[in-house]
Amino acid sequence: MVIGRRWFWLIPLGLLPVPLLLNPYQQYVLNTALLYVPVGIGFNLVVGNLGLLAFSNVAYFGLGAYTSGIMMATLGAPWWLTIVPAAIVGGLAGSLASIPALRGVRLFYLAIMTLAFGELMRWTYIRWESLTGGSMGMAVPTAHLFGWALDSDARKFFVFLALVVVIVIGTDKLLRSRFGRAFQAIKDNEVAAAAMGIPTDRYIVLAFAWGGAVVGIGGAMFAISVGHLSPASFDMTELILQFAIIMVGGLGSLMGSIIGAVIITIAPQVFISFPGFAELVFGLLIILVILFLPRGLASLVARVHPMFVERYYRG
Amino acid sequence: MAEPPLLELRDVTVRFGGLVAVNAVSFRVERGEICALIGPNGAGKTSLFNAVSGNVVADEGSIRLNGQEISRLTPHEISALGARRTFQNGGLFPDLTALENVLVGLHTQVASGFFGLLFGGRSVVAERAATARARTLLALMDIAAIADRKVSALSGGQQRMVEIVRALATDPPLLLLDEPAVGLSPPARALLAGVIRRLARELGVGILLIEHAIELVMSVADRVIVLNEGRKVADAPPDAVRADRAVLEAYLGHG
Repeated sequence: MVIGRRWFWLIPLGLLPVPLLLNPYQQYVLNTALLYVPVGIGFNLVVGNLGLLAFSNVAYFGLGAYTSGIMMATLGAPWWLTIVPAAIVGGLAGSLASIPALRGVRLFYLAIMTLAFGELMRWTYIRWESLTGGSMGMAVPTAHLFGWALDSDARKFFVFLALVVVIVIGTDKLLRSRFGRAFQAIKDNEVAAAAMGIPTDRYIVLAFAWGGAVVGIGGAMFAISVGHLSPASFDMTELILQFAIIMVGGLGSLMGSIIGAVIITIAPQVFISFPGFAELVFGLLIILVILFLPRGLASLVARVHPMFVERYYRG
Repeated sequence: MAEPPLLELRDVTVRFGGLVAVNAVSFRVERGEICALIGPNGAGKTSLFNAVSGNVVADEGSIRLNGQEISRLTPHEISALGARRTFQNGGLFPDLTALENVLVGLHTQVASGFFGLLFGGRSVVAERAATARARTLLALMDIAAIADRKVSALSGGQQRMVEIVRALATDPPLLLLDEPAVGLSPPARALLAGVIRRLARELGVGILLIEHAIELVMSVADRVIVLNEGRKVADAPPDAVRADRAVLEAYLGHG
């Protein structure tokens, strides 16, 4: 094999010198695109791979962000120490959100119940003022990574890039194993999946937990990227944005989550100097993709070369 | 002590509300035996099948696999114990390739753990070994060429073969085939009959088969069980069943 997946390493390596070319604002936008990669990956795992319409993604995102922010602000913890707790809280929230699905709730009913979970969390951020600063929000202190201050967007970029690479590789390994196949099998035919000896309930919890944990890490990245957390960041508009990432990128595609995060974050910025144009482009993009590429932009990339076709096995 | 029968049903009853779908049915399937389950529509064949595979819970009676009571177990537990089934239509996972479908069939035999996969090591080796085995199995059925195609793009006959390979991937002692010949052309049916016979004779798989294609039943079955209105009305070799008065009545109505 001359060209293969091992060359994918060139992508993060090629990104390393990019901060030299960007102004601080552009760097901030690129960081935002990076932090939405895990957010999209976690969402896509449940909605795209497992096939369950769970719209509680913003809840994991917010919980991850607040976990990180509160640990830093009230406990004085360095940021790197908050990443794992943010993942754990996100993962637990994911497991909790899977309960209706385990009770057999599906489709719109599941969508509405999980949506309510997200709104309930937003209400909690507003009400629990002593911890979150209420609707005024809270300031997030400067992040530290093993004593190194992440006080510029360029510095955050390298850390974000490393985290994203780890999450992408981890999720890729998971998807190309019996876990990923079990998720797809449950999506396609739950009864047949159980007939193959797959304990479907356990796998549903696992997908929600892994998805929630990954999104929680995205939340921790968000906390230090914006430096200020307020409940308004975790509303329905945010959910629509996150849903657009996986729709435009490609449902059930890891590559789609990455492409979606980058396109949805950066495309509106290109038209930032024309007021109102960004929203127009955003809306048009979604309509065009749904009409002509129901499997998202990733399906377009998959046509370029077989190595871009996602497989659920190794060897 | 004698070995217990592969599958043994005793007085199995399945009710849906007031409707008795299966009424006190008893029979056995031995290793290497092909046992066909026939009867008119609504006779309770699929309900009985679902009771064995755990998709419905029998209200009364006992179902034993290798002597172990399975009537209260979930489908995935029964599958893991070695009773594998196929589905009447659309039992495959359309978004996955033929190879990936077979790999799902191998699920319980791939010893890969969550953390093992993340950090490499033995789980990855197990994954690669499973992939190699799945390719070998597809090659044995002469469908290696379609391994990397999505099953939704395959013909009906190819899909049926993939489903059978998938069900057999773990070498299950008992195979439950739910109308495997539906939608197959005559040559594909003949091929299927050959496969079923080989599985039983050469590999000693016990097969319980629901089938409407009567010529397939007569050509492969060692024993034919006839259900009518939930009751077992005959349990005999094919030739004897053909001449049975109760069977004719079940199919043609009471004369």
